[in-house]
Amino acid sequence: MKADLQNMLNPKSVAIIGASRNPDKVGHIILQNYINSGYSGRLFAVNKDAESILGVKAYRHVGEIKQKLDLAVIAIPAQFVPQALEECGKAGVKSTIVVTAGFEEIGEKALQEQIVRISEKYKMPMLGPNCLGVMDTRARTDTLFLPTYKLSKPGVGYVSFISQSGAVGSTILDLIAGEGFGLSKFISYGNAAYIDESDILEYLMNDDDTKVIIMYIEGIKDGKKFIEVAKKVTKKKPVVVLKGGRSAIGQQATLSHTASLAGDYQVYEGMFQQFGFTIANDLNELLYYAKVLVSEPEPKGNRIGIITNGGGAGVITTDAVGAVKALKLAGLSKKSQEILRKTMPPLVNIRIPLDLAGDAGGDRYETAVSTLRDDDNVDMIIVIALFQTPGADSSVVAKLVHFKADMNKPMIVISIGAEYTQIHNHMMEESGLPVYDSPVAAVNSLAELFKYYQYKHRK
Amino acid sequence: MTLSDYFEGEKLLKKYGISSIKSRYVNSAEEAIANADGKPIVMKIISDKALHKSKSGLVALDLKTDKEIRSAFNSLTAKAAKLKPYKVIVQEMSKSGIEVIIGGKTDPQFGKVILLGLGGIYVEAFKDFAIRVCPISSSDAGSMIDSLKSENVITYGSENRKMLEKLLVSVSEMLVNTELKELDLNPVILRKADYDVVDIRILK
Repeated sequence: MKADLQNMLNPKSVAIIGASRNPDKVGHIILQNYINSGYSGRLFAVNKDAESILGVKAYRHVGEIKQKLDLAVIAIPAQFVPQALEECGKAGVKSTIVVTAGFEEIGEKALQEQIVRISEKYKMPMLGPNCLGVMDTRARTDTLFLPTYKLSKPGVGYVSFISQSGAVGSTILDLIAGEGFGLSKFISYGNAAYIDESDILEYLMNDDDTKVIIMYIEGIKDGKKFIEVAKKVTKKKPVVVLKGGRSAIGQQATLSHTASLAGDYQVYEGMFQQFGFTIANDLNELLYYAKVLVSEPEPKGNRIGIITNGGGAGVITTDAVGAVKALKLAGLSKKSQEILRKTMPPLVNIRIPLDLAGDAGGDRYETAVSTLRDDDNVDMIIVIALFQTPGADSSVVAKLVHFKADMNKPMIVISIGAEYTQIHNHMMEESGLPVYDSPVAAVNSLAELFKYYQYKHRK
Repeated sequence: MTLSDYFEGEKLLKKYGISSIKSRYVNSAEEAIANADGKPIVMKIISDKALHKSKSGLVALDLKTDKEIRSAFNSLTAKAAKLKPYKVIVQEMSKSGIEVIIGGKTDPQFGKVILLGLGGIYVEAFKDFAIRVCPISSSDAGSMIDSLKSENVITYGSENRKMLEKLLVSVSEMLVNTELKELDLNPVILRKADYDVVDIRILK
């Protein structure tokens, strides 16, 4: 494989070329982040003038380090990058990340071709240029040149994230940090001059610490190559994709109905559907779908059971199920009806949505969830917990979290509200229970979960 | 881009087992009448300057009498005067059914792609269509049908669905093996047990 990203994501030794004593410089921030994140490999700074930076010994050239280097992170002005790459190649550096901008994205095509040629000559995989680089929460690698105080860093998890854009990438990372599911790897690949999105997708397909891939792309470098990888990757794990650049600006005038309908984005969308990608239409959908896909088991069918402590929220959620082609509302088995009739107060209507009423606490939720869990007519469970109600408190959270441990069907929570609610949502999310703040988002997420496994098993 | 001759398209479809409705060019109303042989016909103007034939009034449907044929010929050729060069084509009147569009194009990134949509005059209005990259399997064809909002409108049961799947796979095969930029089969008229390709537009 062209791109063994292992040396970039989990390097035993790293040189930061362009490390600087000036805290405003990108090279300084990258070195600082390596130190802050607790990276345990060997770290070297390369700087023409300094003896040491942030307590790390500095060398004038990468060749002077005279040790095996898995990775060089290059953060110097574009015109000096070819020279630095040559030096890396001669020193036997195994891979490079060029964070520097100023290449093809501003029309400097020749300069970009030059650095690709050098990388090819030394068979030295290069990520970038014009990228944020990588983050690996297990290896504690972080080449992002964003000051720590500006961006919360996600915890360790099983979702990996590929981004063409650095800015969207860092925004989504910050959002992931606010979710309970955490991050495995982040790869920002910028201009994709040497390693492209297909290489990265293929790498993550074979990565055991990645269970779900999310990606933000604006274009694909090589469509045919991408399709070859796409055919394999989604049969192994879900890939949620957000494609930027939908508008048809600059699209050629066409002479057929087909071409006027099938613009660039529509073709992308069709390709994504064909090869089992989960399509997100907005940044938050990337997270909604990743959350359910990484935490929930495969559903046996598409029938949704709804438990609620508020009638209206139950109705809105039921409406959302009705609006989605992939899902159906579940009916309760006779046995479930009997159990619930015996255990629920008389004001509870025994049907889906099962409205436990506003005074429901942990115990009533416990009975309802265990009944739906054991009911073969119910394939997936949505639990609505509105903490504004008189009965709902931490006892509901305790019961739901307890169920999560050995739940054999997908179960997600809808919980909407401000501070008091957020405290409870946080507890549930940290325990691996997906929480949604919108009935439509919750229902769509279950639909995507169902559709993914349907595709996965399609012959 | 140039528009291929209608009958070149017809021949190509035939090679892939795709049947299109019986058609021929005519030079005069009398020729059209002689050819109709008493059966109702359709008359259309073919010109690479006319994409929206029905919308531009360049199609006359269900012409039964000599008088109807004559008057259609005169009014169509009058409208087509500014679309030169043009040809007049006559076809058998297709039996009624559901109109779909099946199309294809060469995408710069992914190569040949195939499109299925709710057809006829609704194409642009409802924009209900699905696209896949060629070649497609019959399960890809099935998922194209499923992903349409009008899924239930365009298929009548499993027989009919199989026929449409097979047709899509054939068109995909044809697209893969043919040098062309754009293809419109619009409309294709689907009935329970058969179909007619009623209009062929190939751009090279």
